[in-house]
Amino acid sequence: MTLAEMKSGSKAKIIGFTHHGRGFVRRLQEMGILPGETVRVERNIFAGPVELFVKGTHLAIGKGIAMRILVEPLEG
Amino acid sequence: MGKSVIFNQLTGGKQIIGNWPGKTVEKAEGLIEQEGFKIRVIDLPGIYSLSTYSEEEVVSREFIASKHPDLVIDVIDACNLERNLFFLFQLIELEVPIVVCLNQYDILEAKGLEIDCEKLSKHLGVPVIKTVATKNKGLTELFRVMKEILLQEKKPLGRVRYGKEVEERIAKLKQEIEQRENSSYPPRFVAIKLLENDPLITSQVKSQELSSLAENLKRELEAIHGEQAETVIISERYSVASRIAELVTRKKGASRRDLTDKVDNLLLHRVAGYLILIALVLLIFFIVFKFGSFLSEEISALFNPLIQYLENLSLPGFLKGLLVHGLLEGVVAGLAIVLPYIAPFYFLLAILEDTGYLARIAFLTDFLMHKLGVHGKAFIPLIESLGCNVPAILGTRIMERKRDRFITSVLATLIPCSARSVIIFGLVAVFLGPFYALLIYLIDFLIIFLVGLLLNRYLKGLPSGLIMEMPRLQKPVLKIIFRQTWIRLRDFTNFALPIIVGANLVMEILILTNSVEPISRVFAPISWFLGLPAFATVALLFGFLRKELTLVMLATFYGTTNFGAILTGEQIFIFGLVTMIYIPCIATIAALKREFGAMKALLVTAGEIIGAIIIGGLLSLFMRAL
Repeated sequence: MTLAEMKSGSKAKIIGFTHHGRGFVRRLQEMGILPGETVRVERNIFAGPVELFVKGTHLAIGKGIAMRILVEPLEG
Repeated sequence: MGKSVIFNQLTGGKQIIGNWPGKTVEKAEGLIEQEGFKIRVIDLPGIYSLSTYSEEEVVSREFIASKHPDLVIDVIDACNLERNLFFLFQLIELEVPIVVCLNQYDILEAKGLEIDCEKLSKHLGVPVIKTVATKNKGLTELFRVMKEILLQEKKPLGRVRYGKEVEERIAKLKQEIEQRENSSYPPRFVAIKLLENDPLITSQVKSQELSSLAENLKRELEAIHGEQAETVIISERYSVASRIAELVTRKKGASRRDLTDKVDNLLLHRVAGYLILIALVLLIFFIVFKFGSFLSEEISALFNPLIQYLENLSLPGFLKGLLVHGLLEGVVAGLAIVLPYIAPFYFLLAILEDTGYLARIAFLTDFLMHKLGVHGKAFIPLIESLGCNVPAILGTRIMERKRDRFITSVLATLIPCSARSVIIFGLVAVFLGPFYALLIYLIDFLIIFLVGLLLNRYLKGLPSGLIMEMPRLQKPVLKIIFRQTWIRLRDFTNFALPIIVGANLVMEILILTNSVEPISRVFAPISWFLGLPAFATVALLFGFLRKELTLVMLATFYGTTNFGAILTGEQIFIFGLVTMIYIPCIATIAALKREFGAMKALLVTAGEIIGAIIIGGLLSLFMRAL
């Protein structure tokens, strides 16, 4: 499953990335979106970016990028 | 966050402050002079890491490595200790003396938390000071510690150690680097960046042995952890950061309920969010127009007696022309036509900046901006552009890639800056009514959208996605808002006003020497095509210096501000539209040249002039045909 498919208010564990293209994967990791990290999906509205809560900060991730982040949904 | 505030408090400086990440796009310098000390302070762009993802980061990294500052002040958001330690560790790896400011400490306390500064300082090996920059708290202490460190022989460099597997490999690489390479960066920093696969540092390695050693070590790390080497290093850094953050943070009391989440739910709502955005834009438009036109009349009335008085004096005609129409009316034009509209706009813009709403706009408009080949962050320089295109073009540096920056800059040049809004408000809205003013804005936004679509379609490269930190919403601090407005207005009176007055004098001389006619005749074909009086094209020409001049020149030439008596409704509309579209001004062209080179600047300039004439001309022919 990808981050783009997660519902608002759900939690997920980051598994990995579909494209290991330089640049953006490094940036995501530097901002705390690392394999194994638990994130809360604050907001995922149609066509808009996904808003995450990770390591104490709110991040906005564009849909295109969110589609390349693999996650495992967590209960609660 | 808060870095520019601290800079300003320390130096009494005039950095523009905003509540969104990455607005310090130019290095700013200031001087502290106190107790016989002189300390030069430089404000570097705010960054997340010292990797090479964006130009900002490279700039900051190279600056620190090559200039060897005596001290680096790392301003940390106290509420985000873990994340900020992640960055601090990289700074420590650059082996520069550091002092840490735990800023926005009041917000941390409101959350019912506290940080043991002494313990933190012990773990890091550098001094840590609590500050609340907006309330001027902790800055005396900061200055005291800075002074102490600068006088010390042995400066606090800090230390950070990672897990055994990583440290062993760093040590091996470091040894090799010390023997073979000569870099402005410390060997340990280079070693870590090589393991991290930093493109720039990797490409600078000259020794073949070193490259292959780095490759081997990376593969070993990847074998142990089952992840890319860069992921291993980043995880390692975060795990040390989170361990330290946990050790020094304590729960102190009940956390006060945070309202900002609820407000955010509304501001970012899929329907309400957009309605609020549109309502806000309309509100700003309304306030600027109402307040501006009121102020404009008041200021004009203030100067009228003086002009009347000078007009009645018995002076030689030539001198009187220069003095009254050239000099005085130039000043009045600047103060009465221009200032009334830009002052309320800058005030409202400062509020938007300070609250953090700009980042919310970026969030809401991300999908729209993707159609234009850029992401939501582009909206921030575009909003700034409503004030002035020049800082907006520099501000595109918050975008990570060159392609994004270029597209955003071209769009920014089409955004109606305050100078152009003055024309629309002062000419179109006043003489045709607000509806037609709005119509010109709508046409302009349509053009911007089409240009964006075209650029995205035909420029090489792929659009990039949005990765943005959402700053906390905060109540605007009135003092900061006023200072912000004042800084921008002072720029206007210092730079723009002299140009307006100077151009006005030149115009008056042209009138007095009867040279306007011949110049107008040269541009007669364009004037005919646009359906404007011959002189209007000359006025447009002056607009290259500053866009307001188009209107000011009309007033000077015809000797009246009652434009309804000189131009027909159609002419006012066309004049406003063409002014809106053709390239902003000479300063904007210079900014484009500086950022993207002469060739691109020329292309954009030529394209927009030709585009404006064609659009204006066709519309005019169409209206005349009706």
